[in-house]
Amino acid sequence: MCRAVRLARLEGMKPQTLSRTAPQSRPPTPGAGADHGPGLATDQADSAGRATDTVIDVRGLTKTYGDRSVIRGLDLSVSRGEIFGILGPNGAGKTTTVEAIQGLRRVDAGHLRVLGLDPFRDRQRLRSQVGSQLQSSSLPERLRVGEALRTFARLAGDVVDWREALDTWGLTSLRRSAFGGLSGGERQRLFIALALVNDPQVVFLDELTQGLDPAARRETWALIRQIRDRGATVVLVSHYMDEVEQLADRAAVLHDGRITACDTPANLVALADGAVRTRFTLRAGEHPGRLDQLPGVVLVAREGRRTEVVGDRTTPVLVAAELARVGILPEDLTVVRPSLEDVFVQLTSGEVAA
Amino acid sequence: MTAVTRPTASRPVSPLRALLTMTGMEARLLTREWAPMLFAFVFPPMMMLVLAGVFASDNGPEFLGLNGTDYYIAAYLAVPISAMTLIGLPVALAGYRERGVLRRLSASGQSQLTVIGAQVLVTALLVVLGAGLVLAVAAPVYGLPPVDDLAGVVGAFALGAGMLLTLGVALGLAVGTARSAQALGLLLFMPMWLLGGGGPPPGVMTGPMQTIADFLPLTPVTTAVRDAWLGSGDLGEPLLLTAAWLAGGLVLVAALRRRRARE
Repeated sequence: MCRAVRLARLEGMKPQTLSRTAPQSRPPTPGAGADHGPGLATDQADSAGRATDTVIDVRGLTKTYGDRSVIRGLDLSVSRGEIFGILGPNGAGKTTTVEAIQGLRRVDAGHLRVLGLDPFRDRQRLRSQVGSQLQSSSLPERLRVGEALRTFARLAGDVVDWREALDTWGLTSLRRSAFGGLSGGERQRLFIALALVNDPQVVFLDELTQGLDPAARRETWALIRQIRDRGATVVLVSHYMDEVEQLADRAAVLHDGRITACDTPANLVALADGAVRTRFTLRAGEHPGRLDQLPGVVLVAREGRRTEVVGDRTTPVLVAAELARVGILPEDLTVVRPSLEDVFVQLTSGEVAA
Repeated sequence: MTAVTRPTASRPVSPLRALLTMTGMEARLLTREWAPMLFAFVFPPMMMLVLAGVFASDNGPEFLGLNGTDYYIAAYLAVPISAMTLIGLPVALAGYRERGVLRRLSASGQSQLTVIGAQVLVTALLVVLGAGLVLAVAAPVYGLPPVDDLAGVVGAFALGAGMLLTLGVALGLAVGTARSAQALGLLLFMPMWLLGGGGPPPGVMTGPMQTIADFLPLTPVTTAVRDAWLGSGDLGEPLLLTAAWLAGGLVLVAALRRRRARE
């Protein structure tokens, strides 16, 4: 079960994230937008006035392909203004889930609501509120960037000025470039611009950074934050742990058609029962004393002057204090904590992680 | 308790405007991707030039009593229909699905019908241009025979184009890749062209050839166009056959769309 985020818990667990999550007030769209809708008036709000209403509500989602069960009674809930990550190994059902939520794939059973609408029955109505970047989707090779934005803006009812969108997403210089000649990062920038061309309230991004080099990935991360800062809710499907750890306010780990864990990345990492490793190099003549006597330490390993202390989450601080106490100030002290990847592997053990 | 927010309004664009927008985009793309269509443009006038010249002095029973040149000029007016609809359209449609363009458009709320409609409109324009090219090449070289029934020619051409466009869409929906569409499209085009009016006249075909020709969808189209143009026969039967192929094609397209929607 993965219900909507409770702000009190967020405030306690991840204050730095909370400050990021407060979206700017969404500019009012005449005759449209939930900000004027009946739902928001009754919604809860945090001390900063941020609404905590649910924009995506999924219960008991089930999907089979032939006799292969892909999604088995999946529940999840996404709140307004958050970046919600969906993690999972290849074949876990991530893409099927987000495509079903968008009404692009039929489901066998389950209750689905996006902005209070049924994605299948109200698909056309919902389309104007949802932006989407689908995995393995493309554009005609010879279509130029400016033409793509102009065409998609027109199809969306010209609610966004396509020239401004070019400018916002750094595409003005590429306006006359053909899609086929764009780099991976440039294509993703264009896909983001196209996903936002209808000024959506919810944006789905499926494996947006797949195949990008590290610099282009980080550039894309900044764009994703920019989407959220403009007031949209973002559902981010990824198999990159660092991406979800960096961007998501909450994340769900999907395995075998079900959600096996759903929480803030920090809380998910805390689920890992892995050890924390503190590593440093001693200079000649330095003797750090009995580090193995420190609370929580389970092992002190030495290889030449390299030392590794294995312990729990408080061990690095205690080790550093002990070293300082005896006058040892190593310049290369590093701490290796369990990562989201460790949790992911534990939660999805038995499967080959993507 | 959390509440689910309901949008108060949507901003749909009308289907006609969406179709025109998509058609505009497709037409622009076509001006940049004309190379794959070169064969469909060049082949019919080239074959017409050769055959109408070779059989210029023939007017025997094998040509149903018609002059060989007139026979081929009239028949080749309809050949570009099959070239454009079976070689160009299915490749474009299957290519869009294969490369995820249909998914991208579908995610933006565009119905597959809009995309198909735009491809059909652009191909229809190519069909008219292709037929115009045949006339433009024939007129100065051989001269155009007088038209007996202009409305009949236009009607048979339009009905035939509609039917073969439908079959082209069906082929584009049926196959998974642009390569398969190209291979199958050529495979369907060649016998249609050869036995359906663009090759040997009916009078010299063997029995089995004639039987195969009778079952090819291009045959009633070339027959109806030729008979209306040269006044060489009754249009009723070929037009009825063309309409039957059109109905069959529409059923096939509906079934294939349903199958694709279930995926």
